[in-house]
Amino acid sequence: MSDATEIRNMLVDAATRVFADHVDAKLLDAAKRDGWSADLWRIVSDAQLPLIGIAEEKGGSGGSLSDQAAVLRIAARYAAPIPLAETALAAWLLTEAGLPLIDGPLTIAPVRGETIQAKRDGASWRLTGRVSRVPFARACRRLVVLATATEGLLVATVDPAQCKITAGSNLAFESRDAVDLDNAPAENAALTTAVTPATLRLRGALARALQIAGALEAALELSVRYAGERVQFGRKIAEFQAIQHELARFAGETAAAVGASMSAAGVLERGGDAHLAVASAKIRCSRAAQEGSMIAHQVHGAIGFTDRYALHHATLRLWAWREEFGNEAMWAEALGRSMAAAGADGLWPALTGN
Amino acid sequence: MFQQVDFSALDLPPSARALQLEVRAFLRAEMAAGTFEVHLGHTEFNAALSKKIGARGWIGMTWPKRYGGQERSYLDRFVMTEEMLAVAAPCAAHWFGDRQTGPSLLRYGSETQRQRFLPAIARGEFAFALGMSEPNAGSDLAAVKTRAERVDGGWKINGQKVWTSWGHKADAFFVLCRTAPDSGNRHDGLSQLIVELKQPGVTVRPIYFMDGGHHFNEIFFDDVFVPDDMVVGDIGAGWRQITSELALERSGPERYMTTFPLFVELVRRLGKSPDARAAEMIGRLTAGIWSLRRMSLAIAMTLDPGPGAEFGTPKATVDLATEAALVKDLGTFYEREIIDAARLLSDVEPEHGAKNLFERFLAESIVAAPVSTLRGGTTQVLRGLIARKLLGRLK
Ligand SMILES: Cc1cc2nc3c(=O)[nH]c(=O)nc-3n(C[C@H](O)[C@H](O)[C@H](O)COP(=O)(O)OP(=O)(O)OC[C@H]3O[C@@H](n4cnc5c(N)ncnc54)[C@H](O)[C@@H]3O)c2cc1C
Repeated sequence: MSDATEIRNMLVDAATRVFADHVDAKLLDAAKRDGWSADLWRIVSDAQLPLIGIAEEKGGSGGSLSDQAAVLRIAARYAAPIPLAETALAAWLLTEAGLPLIDGPLTIAPVRGETIQAKRDGASWRLTGRVSRVPFARACRRLVVLATATEGLLVATVDPAQCKITAGSNLAFESRDAVDLDNAPAENAALTTAVTPATLRLRGALARALQIAGALEAALELSVRYAGERVQFGRKIAEFQAIQHELARFAGETAAAVGASMSAAGVLERGGDAHLAVASAKIRCSRAAQEGSMIAHQVHGAIGFTDRYALHHATLRLWAWREEFGNEAMWAEALGRSMAAAGADGLWPALTGN
Repeated sequence: MFQQVDFSALDLPPSARALQLEVRAFLRAEMAAGTFEVHLGHTEFNAALSKKIGARGWIGMTWPKRYGGQERSYLDRFVMTEEMLAVAAPCAAHWFGDRQTGPSLLRYGSETQRQRFLPAIARGEFAFALGMSEPNAGSDLAAVKTRAERVDGGWKINGQKVWTSWGHKADAFFVLCRTAPDSGNRHDGLSQLIVELKQPGVTVRPIYFMDGGHHFNEIFFDDVFVPDDMVVGDIGAGWRQITSELALERSGPERYMTTFPLFVELVRRLGKSPDARAAEMIGRLTAGIWSLRRMSLAIAMTLDPGPGAEFGTPKATVDLATEAALVKDLGTFYEREIIDAARLLSDVEPEHGAKNLFERFLAESIVAAPVSTLRGGTTQVLRGLIARKLLGRLK
């Protein structure tokens, strides 16, 4: 095992302890009402998990992108209702644009292909635009936006108090809010060529793929445990071959999601065809989300459908996250076009990167 | 699952990347020279090509040099294998030796057997087949009835094997048989013997596929004498020997790439600017193979013993048998997705032996489609194995 792998395993253990110790039914229920959990954010922030994967000299906690990926996956395993992925994306935008990091929960906008216009205002900038489905906008300390100016692309930080925010949520009751910027002042801003809407979307899709993998792991674990407990016809349902085979299929889907998403993080970190890797991961994970969530509910019967039982925290997220930053059809069409353009004889070289 | 695997660190070393291009160029040249015609579904037996591949050092490449190997890494072998599969090169003449019987001999064989067979396999000059299945022993392999009785200096075999791929062309095969009666524990009393195919008492009869192809055989033993030095490993230990170390064999690229050349021809047929529906299917198929390849690669990388270890023997400390079963299960269904996409996007009425490459591949793939979920452990058997591992953690 390499050093990097060993360090990551230690990080995973530490992160697992944090989430296992603090995420419980009460916290998750409260988050369904509030759209997130401020309490959990404080704990996770004290444990220095939000800025893993951002270099220390840039104000982060150090570690690689794969380390960050591992943390996102673990957090999702516990359905952690906090903007961990969004803060990582925001920190990435800031560091790429050469701006200082900001403490606290952050988010990014736009996430659905809309535009925010930026105009110079003396030495500073003002921002205008309506953007939808911004994750955790009402919870964040600052929004980090990727705006369009006549001079080019601009990364800017905005105080949410300067925007009109209309609460919304995804299927898992995580905050997904509409944000109206009406000549809102940027606090800090820099023109950049280091990021584009496409690379932001790519990173966002990778984050959701990793989160899907984590949620699938949780749903699989619950399903296996439940099958070993539930008795019908005088036997544990795990003894029925029909149930066993569904669980095996579920394990395959989960493994594929973990493999694809963690691999894609590795490709982004170490070099290679990022579009191929992330598109593949999002496509594969979104599909696994469908297959896995359906098996999970089938194995659980009616109890899985209730708000008293933990499964829904995982499955609602699977159904939400597969759509966010592009669903499998959108990514597949884009990936298919690029593979077709490279031609039949380019297919294998593209897949092998050689 | 996959706890011992680091997916984010799957880089091929420069040696493997160089080999990748080398094998690719070799195959391109062979195809240009018309050495082989590509058929999908069942890798063909082409002794001449296997010899050329052997001469390049690409058979038994992870084995020790003293047995004709190259002492290269599992990753080198991985890229060599996938290059062969990417163009469906006919590898049946060395495949079983390279993947199954060679590694078994390295692990359990006597020094004499290793000296005699391994260098010959590696040169592509000696082809092995596998004699496991019998009319009443399929998934339930321990039910084999073929018997070997002790005689002076060896064993005398009687019985029958079936579904023996390439038994009509191979030189010898590994035969799983009973050397002691079933005395309660049915896994005891089974042994593996090497039987030469061209000898008195061995009768090989063809069984034709539904499209007329001849791959399968049934093989009868009538008092066939096998000398003691052709017993692999220990008498009575056959079961343990065949069930250990399935991981690498089960998770290799051959589990998800047998229809890949059809995918390539589909992309060619659809052209460089396909419509949205076609593009989406190409994207999905791309994501499928990309993901499977990462899983398969991860297993090869994790099992690679690394320099200095005994070559050809996977790392003993990691058990990836369940992960390998997962890859095979996913891979075999992925192969069918390619066939379906090709059908649905092409509006072709498939015909055996069609002149057009895409159409021929389509026909061959459709007919071969049921196979991959049967051989090497059926879907149901694999899923049972995976479930036992999942549920075992509860106890
Ligand atoms: C192309 C091809 C090449 C082959 N080459 C060789 C070869 O070279 N040498 C060789 O020895 N064999 C070979 N085989 C045979 C292969 O190993 C067997 O087909 C395989 O072991 C399955 O056995 P079977 O065909 O008798 O099916 P069976 O075992 O009879 O299975 C029939 C059905 O029952 C299901 N089933 C069986 N047991 C269970 C269970 N416990 N739970 C649930 N379902 C179950 C199976 O999944 C399957 O769906 C080859 C097969 C094919 C298709």
